[in-house]
Amino acid sequence: MTELLTPRRLIIRLILCAALLAAVMFVCSLIGTQKISLGSVLDGPGIAAGTNIDYDIYVRVRIPRIILAALVGAALAASGVALQAILRNPLAEPYILGISSGAALGVITAVLLGAGGLSVFGSGASISVFAFLFALGTVWLVWLVGHLAGGSGVTSLLLAGVVVNAFFSAVIMLLTSLIDSQQLRTTIYWLMGNIGERDFSTLLTSAVFIVAGILGLFAICQKLNVLTFGTKDAQSLGVNPRVVTFTAFALASFITAVAVGLSGLVGFVGLIVPHSVRLVLGPDHRQLLPASAFVGAAFVVICDTIARVIIAPAQFPVGVITAVIGGPVFLLLLARYNKKVGYQRWV
Amino acid sequence: MGIEVENLCFAYKSQAEILKNISFRLDEGSFLSIAGPNGSGKTTLLNLLSGLLKSTAGAVKIDDCLLQSYSIRHLAKKVAVVRQEFVPIFEFSAMQIVSMARSPYLGTFAFEGETDQKAIADALEMTDTARFAERTLNHLSGGERQRVFIARALAQNTPILLLDEPTSFLDIKHQVGIYDLLKRMQREYGKTIVAVTHDINLTIQYADEALLLEAGGNYHIGKTSDVFSLKQIEKVFGVRTFTGKVGQENFFLPLGKFAKSREGCLTADNQIITPRPADSK
Repeated sequence: MTELLTPRRLIIRLILCAALLAAVMFVCSLIGTQKISLGSVLDGPGIAAGTNIDYDIYVRVRIPRIILAALVGAALAASGVALQAILRNPLAEPYILGISSGAALGVITAVLLGAGGLSVFGSGASISVFAFLFALGTVWLVWLVGHLAGGSGVTSLLLAGVVVNAFFSAVIMLLTSLIDSQQLRTTIYWLMGNIGERDFSTLLTSAVFIVAGILGLFAICQKLNVLTFGTKDAQSLGVNPRVVTFTAFALASFITAVAVGLSGLVGFVGLIVPHSVRLVLGPDHRQLLPASAFVGAAFVVICDTIARVIIAPAQFPVGVITAVIGGPVFLLLLARYNKKVGYQRWV
Repeated sequence: MGIEVENLCFAYKSQAEILKNISFRLDEGSFLSIAGPNGSGKTTLLNLLSGLLKSTAGAVKIDDCLLQSYSIRHLAKKVAVVRQEFVPIFEFSAMQIVSMARSPYLGTFAFEGETDQKAIADALEMTDTARFAERTLNHLSGGERQRVFIARALAQNTPILLLDEPTSFLDIKHQVGIYDLLKRMQREYGKTIVAVTHDINLTIQYADEALLLEAGGNYHIGKTSDVFSLKQIEKVFGVRTFTGKVGQENFFLPLGKFAKSREGCLTADNQIITPRPADSK
């Protein structure tokens, strides 16, 4: 007989995922435009600041950037898993559904209203609140438009996401044109999904938010499993669909908003990663969600490393790399899913 | 654990009442079949019994307590529901689907313990689904899928089972298999079973009581042999029907205008079925 997921099996698999992430982070930390020696790094900072350049680059530039990429990847992948479960839609993803755009609009609105400068994206509490509220509002807007357009089916929700995304992009462009020219390049890069260097306090705050959000989602994973069978089945199986849906929407929007605040619009992570993990570990959300968070972190770290070195000394925004990989994956999944839906209609 | 329904009424928003003053009492360990034409409110009634819909008037009591007094989680320990077949979006294995039945018994961060695993294994065994427990529903036949969902309802370990057209899409072998399984659940495990069905002849063979809903809200309830009379069936479904006996039970054969045997005699199990006088003209 098949065996069900046990805590022991879950812990072993998650340790393996964490080890994979640690390995990826370590290898990527050694790759960059400036060649550095690990031996020099291990020698420490030196007598005075700036005497050991390798150490300074490694600890003050690369490590924070890699941690940031990992946080963004973990948040977006976990958000994708939760959205796919509650919308019962394998193509749902914060970027495609317009939630990332919503959060970005929130950030830009907050900046224009004077909540902070572009250089402190993600660090101002009011910016985070704006990003979160706009992300949450976008979820409901997409859901509402999807329902008005003909139910919660895969096509209507995706179309709603596309429409909301297009509308928000237009508003973002309008608002961007109001930003002064000095900050224009930073803004455009940020919108394309740009992972830059951040101070440790921003990273720590963001890490606490993202880990707390992922843990919150993990706590409802068993209920998310049940919810994938529809609200009626969920209720018959003792799960309150409204409470679980609202909680998952709120937490997914929250961690997406934090990720967008840190890195701008990084697309398709919430699509590619959960699908890849699902192929290997299966659809049980109790392991899919945490494993996707680890793998998502590793994925964005790799993508950011590619973005850092591919046209060195210049850099790509990481969103370009994830989109180049994610676009074709999305089309493949769409074709596969349509085939499955077509099959379902006739059985 | 029985079910009591008192003057139950239901209307969808700004529409006429689909169910009017329905009252009945179903004792513990009974098998009730709900039949009726399309749109007569069979699934609606099932949804009212399972707490998915709220009645516009009247009450449903489970174990002498009002349905509304149960929390969603508590109710899921009393009533299990098998809906019409569908294939889930994500490719869960049959065993994972059955294991979800333990949801009402699991706490936050909890995994299936020994009791849960035993309930799951027993349900798979009872429904003969253990041999394909590892397969996803896409790789199962319609009959196998339906058995998986019945296994899930059994693993929920509830005294009451509600089923919405459990044999739709199934061939006759699988239809009989499902009804045999339900009867076994009733006899061996004392489950109270309520099944919505379109197959009157199978219902007569397996259910103890029947509720026949008419379009417009009227209903008939009682022993299957009383509820399913020729007169009643022709009136409710509006179709010319022939009848005969298999053992002690009647069976009914609705025949349309161009059916081959409409004007003749039918033979089944060596019994001659004579058309009613009105048909033999």
